[in-house]
Amino acid sequence: MTGQSVSARVVNSVCPYCGVGCALSWVVDTANNRIVEARGRDGAANLGRLCVKGRYGFDYTTHAHRLARPLIRREQSYPKGALSWDDNGPHRPGGPVDPQTVLPHFREATWDEALERVGENLAGIREREGGDALAGFGSAKGSNEEAYLFQKLIRAGFGTNNVDHCTRLCHASSVAALLEGIGSGGVTNIVRDIARADVALITGCNPTENHPVAATFMKEAAANGTELLVVNTRRPAIADHAAMYLEIRPGSDVSFYNAMMHVIIREGLIDADFIATRTENFDALKATVADYPPESVAEFCGVEAGRITEAALRFGRAGAAMVFWGMGISQHTHGTDNARCLIALAMITGNTGRPGTGMHPLRGQNNVQGASDAGLIPMVFPDYQKVDDPDVRARFEALWGRPLSPTPGRTVTEITEGALEGAIRGMYILGENPFVSDPDVEKVRKALARLEFLVVQDIFLTETAEFADVILPGSAFAEKTGTVTNTDRRVQLGRQALRPPGEARQDWHIICQIAQRVGYPMEYADVAAVFDEFAGCTDSYASLNHTVLGDHGRWYPCPDPEHSEGEPIVFKDTFPRGRALLVPARQSPPVEATDAEYPLVLNTGRVLEHWHTGTMTRRSQVLHGLSPEGFVEIHPDDAAGHGIADGDWVEVASRRGSIRIRAQVRDRIARGSVFVPMHYREACANVLTHPAVDPDGKIPAFKYCAVRISRLAAKKSA
Amino acid sequence: MNDTVSLTIDGQPVEVPTGATIWDAARAIGIDIPVLCHSTRMRPVGVCRVCVVETGARNLQAACVRPCEQGMEVRTDTDKVERNRRMLLELLLGDYPEPSAREVTTGDDALLALARDYALETSRFHRAGGATEGRRDTSSPVIVVDHQACILCDRCIRGCDELQHNHVMTRSGKGATTHIAFDLDVPMGESTCVACGECQAVCPTGALTNRSLQGLRVVVEEERP
Repeated sequence: MTGQSVSARVVNSVCPYCGVGCALSWVVDTANNRIVEARGRDGAANLGRLCVKGRYGFDYTTHAHRLARPLIRREQSYPKGALSWDDNGPHRPGGPVDPQTVLPHFREATWDEALERVGENLAGIREREGGDALAGFGSAKGSNEEAYLFQKLIRAGFGTNNVDHCTRLCHASSVAALLEGIGSGGVTNIVRDIARADVALITGCNPTENHPVAATFMKEAAANGTELLVVNTRRPAIADHAAMYLEIRPGSDVSFYNAMMHVIIREGLIDADFIATRTENFDALKATVADYPPESVAEFCGVEAGRITEAALRFGRAGAAMVFWGMGISQHTHGTDNARCLIALAMITGNTGRPGTGMHPLRGQNNVQGASDAGLIPMVFPDYQKVDDPDVRARFEALWGRPLSPTPGRTVTEITEGALEGAIRGMYILGENPFVSDPDVEKVRKALARLEFLVVQDIFLTETAEFADVILPGSAFAEKTGTVTNTDRRVQLGRQALRPPGEARQDWHIICQIAQRVGYPMEYADVAAVFDEFAGCTDSYASLNHTVLGDHGRWYPCPDPEHSEGEPIVFKDTFPRGRALLVPARQSPPVEATDAEYPLVLNTGRVLEHWHTGTMTRRSQVLHGLSPEGFVEIHPDDAAGHGIADGDWVEVASRRGSIRIRAQVRDRIARGSVFVPMHYREACANVLTHPAVDPDGKIPAFKYCAVRISRLAAKKSA
Repeated sequence: MNDTVSLTIDGQPVEVPTGATIWDAARAIGIDIPVLCHSTRMRPVGVCRVCVVETGARNLQAACVRPCEQGMEVRTDTDKVERNRRMLLELLLGDYPEPSAREVTTGDDALLALARDYALETSRFHRAGGATEGRRDTSSPVIVVDHQACILCDRCIRGCDELQHNHVMTRSGKGATTHIAFDLDVPMGESTCVACGECQAVCPTGALTNRSLQGLRVVVEEERP
């Protein structure tokens, strides 16, 4: 048996999916410009391990749907609107956007014509309406270099701070609480430090599905004696390895953690020295949590008082305790309050700055840490330097050679509002798909359709690109060289393995070409030079460059990268703001309480095999095959009450809209709530979600809105 | 207790931390002892026995699990050692399928590589037409299982249980019917496997291979950073 001979080379890079940042190698069939195999590499975050997405989910790069030429919307396809949204007929049961439906509305163009049109329109709006009529969404899927260039273009080239990305939908509230509490948004301890923890609180996250390789280290720690305290509203598989699993009612987080702190203070399990020397405002915290004895919140939280007490005692008595959290904490209108409670819990027990302690908000995207570090946030320049600080601004004005706006820009949801109101007239969207990812997509649809000019740069024709005037074909992660920063603050270099298809170009080149066309030339010898400029305007990255990062990367801060891996644990002696500020939080009501009409709480999230809006993973044969369709998970008791059996087609409706989807009857989900993954456009969870946001983090409440469910008459196919 | 022990391997002196295995000590001084079941990423189990060495003990010792002792004189290159390794390899090759799905796709079948090192063109125990038919499990969308090529080295089981902590894989059956199994011995594609691929990545033979590489013959021409 002789197979087709493939002459291959091995290229070292980083997995393009989640925030764990697994080092891998791609075996590349050079002649056919495709990856044939992914192999785990001995990276600091993965030790050679990979999950199903990293190991088998790379074939989207060579999918036939890849954009290979610039596209311009045809005259007859105005006014703008969604083109494929209702295209879920019997001939095509779900899956990603079908280019056959959408492409007829666009014509191919040369790069010159497309860029000319982009420059003319964006510069025109800037001249006519001012820079604040423009906005940009960058992406946490891009590299640090791309994020830096993108925000530089928006700030210096467009003249506005209206630049944001999906961190707003992810950990914005965690970052707001961390910046307020300790003065830094990064994690204090790396994931693998859990091996040295006596106790780890793992809350509001589902690591075996969403951070699978990080989860292997959590399970390993549990096998070696670390007690896991798992808190969630939907039982994650990591609970199988836990000392305690506590299923709380959706939205009761603040009460639950206040009660834990109440017990810890009452039982004298606080670290008085740490509180005295490293924190402030303890008395106010103590006064607030005094109102939350376990006995009084037990019913509201849905957990017996004795179990809340036991969890508190386990945490309080640990020599070293660590806190991991995910979107179940952050994606609420009180997400910042939730994170404040977790920070306070770590602080009053002295659990920071030592091995096996600290706070680790598990980052979702492969580069959400880096994109934020690079300044893809409306309030701050790179390295979290505030745009309204005159000294900081003067430095960046000197570096970038343009006057810069002193006003913090709009966030993701505020940009949508702005577009609806007509205040935002033009947008540049690079690698984001807000029409599926943002709350209340009906509202997003109206907002995108109202834009005078939209340019979308992506690798596929996304649902968002359907609203574009011009679409520019970018490159997949495997097609470029650049750095990404993982959840551990590990900066790692991905190397180009493939050539972009057709006329598609490197994203950083395209950003520079748009800059040129709006009259703000940005020129760099190569992508390493972009990194150097970015690193030079930060403290965190200042010592790093592509050469020193090499194949294994470094944790920042890393003052001596020639001899050190960087810091796996930070804030041993002090916090960036000096003492940590303990911020008491009180339980607030949900944004949309359940009632007789909408009696169930909707929770949204992800599944192991898919990534976000599915543009990549639903074009991977293996991943799509493993998880081909959406579902709504419902408790057997609730299902029985609604006459729903496993596998039935149901309608899930909220005050914003409704979707049709198949029911999965599972007892892992709490009674009174249902779960819908966000990936499936044909059963889009964000049709249902509520656009209200947290007042501090401006993050939408993806984890809570009121819905109703009803069985549909038998339907022969999707 | 001393922190280190001193010994000689093939006459070369070496000092290693107490508890280090003979295989680790040999590696430290550049002596390559062959292994099939052992991997530096995993707990050593000493099941394949191709790493056997002479230590002066009554019988041969598996270097991957045997701790070094003070004053030990280890020989990795005696006739007895070589004879034993050849015998083990011939036994393993006796019912090994032709072709090996790993060898024909990625060319890195560790058993066949070792057989080449020992110039074993054929096995005295070779059974014509090793019955691969019916011993293949193609139910997983990502991995092809060929039980006929399994040497029961347990790498996949340790990869699943001790690296990824998914606890899907185990050994099942007794004696000659012993085989790797998923959950309660159901086809891989029907098990609780999450398709992380660790078992396929650590398998040294054609037993667990990447389905998407079937029909390809991948030759890496250039390792570049």
